[in-house]
Amino acid sequence: MNCEKCHKNHATIHLTAIENGVKREAHLCDECARQTGAISNFNFSIGSLLGGLMEPVKTPKMNQVRCPECGITYSEFKTKARLGCANDYEVFRSELLRLLEKVHGSTQHAGKTPHTVDAHIRKENELIRLKRDLDSVVKSEDFEKAAEIRDRIKTLELELNR
Amino acid sequence: MKVEELLSQSGEWLKGTGPESDVVISSRIRLARNLHRFPFLTVATPQVRSEVERFVRPRLEEGKLPRKLVYWSLGELSTVERTLLVERHLISREHEKAEGDRGVAVGADEAISIMVNEEDHLRLQVIRSGLQLDEAYDEIDRMDTALEGSLNFAFSPQFGYLTACPTNVGTGLRISVMMHLPAAALSKQMDKVLQSLQRLNYTVRGFYGEGTQPLGDFYQVSNQITLGKSERDIISELKRVIPEILKFERQWRHKLLEDEPRRLEDRVWRAYGILKHARRITSEEATDLLSALRLGVTLNVITGIPHKVLNELFIFTQPAHLQKIERKILEPEERDAVRAEFIRRRLEGL
Repeated sequence: MNCEKCHKNHATIHLTAIENGVKREAHLCDECARQTGAISNFNFSIGSLLGGLMEPVKTPKMNQVRCPECGITYSEFKTKARLGCANDYEVFRSELLRLLEKVHGSTQHAGKTPHTVDAHIRKENELIRLKRDLDSVVKSEDFEKAAEIRDRIKTLELELNR
Repeated sequence: MKVEELLSQSGEWLKGTGPESDVVISSRIRLARNLHRFPFLTVATPQVRSEVERFVRPRLEEGKLPRKLVYWSLGELSTVERTLLVERHLISREHEKAEGDRGVAVGADEAISIMVNEEDHLRLQVIRSGLQLDEAYDEIDRMDTALEGSLNFAFSPQFGYLTACPTNVGTGLRISVMMHLPAAALSKQMDKVLQSLQRLNYTVRGFYGEGTQPLGDFYQVSNQITLGKSERDIISELKRVIPEILKFERQWRHKLLEDEPRRLEDRVWRAYGILKHARRITSEEATDLLSALRLGVTLNVITGIPHKVLNELFIFTQPAHLQKIERKILEPEERDAVRAEFIRRRLEGL
């Protein structure tokens, strides 16, 4: 089927609209759909989704908070849903913590740590991971594995307190 | 290696040989990484983008990595060549369309690729045929660890690997299992599958990822959560979900075979007939019919057509592949004729 508008390209967008009980169909190519704006109504961006998850700021001032490194403001982050640099994670920390809790159900990394990161941090991350593992192992009643994990936790805690 | 040379081969993941390959086409894992002390691409000036590429490129090309990689700077490629890389699943659509210095490093068997200056400075990806999540993760983990030797990634003990979008932060890990679910779709059961997956925090997308329609009953299931769980946990959770989908699809396949063998046979043979004789065929129709044919092959309704041939036909009949094979820009109508001929020839030889 060819596009209704340009009659040239193949119609790839098929729209059905019901207005006042009357059904209307439109068959457009990608380009014409974009031009008529038909497509943008269906473009659900991650930006709008994340923006919706973010709570309104407590003080209007928060919107103006600017990262000294990359220069983006909190309000820019909210519209783009993209951060400008690693430092933003500290600058917008309290707002991000709430957002991450909603998106991931967690605010603490429990995965791989690069070997360039110093040993102390690596151990702390391993500790977090082990404590989490311990919970699930106990739940599944694998007590042998639980004992193993507890030993490792103890060793790590000792090393970290030293 | 030139982009053109990809035409004389097909990716390892298209072999159709991996475990569960009657349903699972491929297992893909990607890691998002950013360089310490460089701004993210959201705010990067053209100068910073080139600086990132100049810094990263030699480190991807050096011989010490677990896999030898070939680097293509996307600015030096034509639109058709870049689209060919999208069709091969080596780069994303966004990466193809973006502007400024950016590139991709690819392993010879196309199982591994690393996009430079996409949404994050680095996007590592490993694809394998069938359901091979642990194997795919082992490989990407080795590459990531090797890269740590020469690149300093942005990392925080609390938030993990720092990414431009907070939906990727932590592990930066996204797993996508691409499945062919024609029987579930034909029996109008896909809504059930989609709803339960969404409830479990998985997303489902089409053949070419974000924002694409499920073409030819291919669905990609991906994890959404990247923070608060280890890589292995994210993988093992998905590994518990996938077999349920496989079981569901297979049950519906057998139900079709038992309850309505004529309907199924007719659909499969009709698809074969059109594919074998048509003189013009659109990409959508071809995908649809190849999907039906693939279902017929897995259920032995029709024999003698290897999975590899079918999997390759899905990719080689995409617009950029056809234009590269013909070595010229083709209008959509010309493409339809070339596509029909390509499919005919491929099926005739069997």
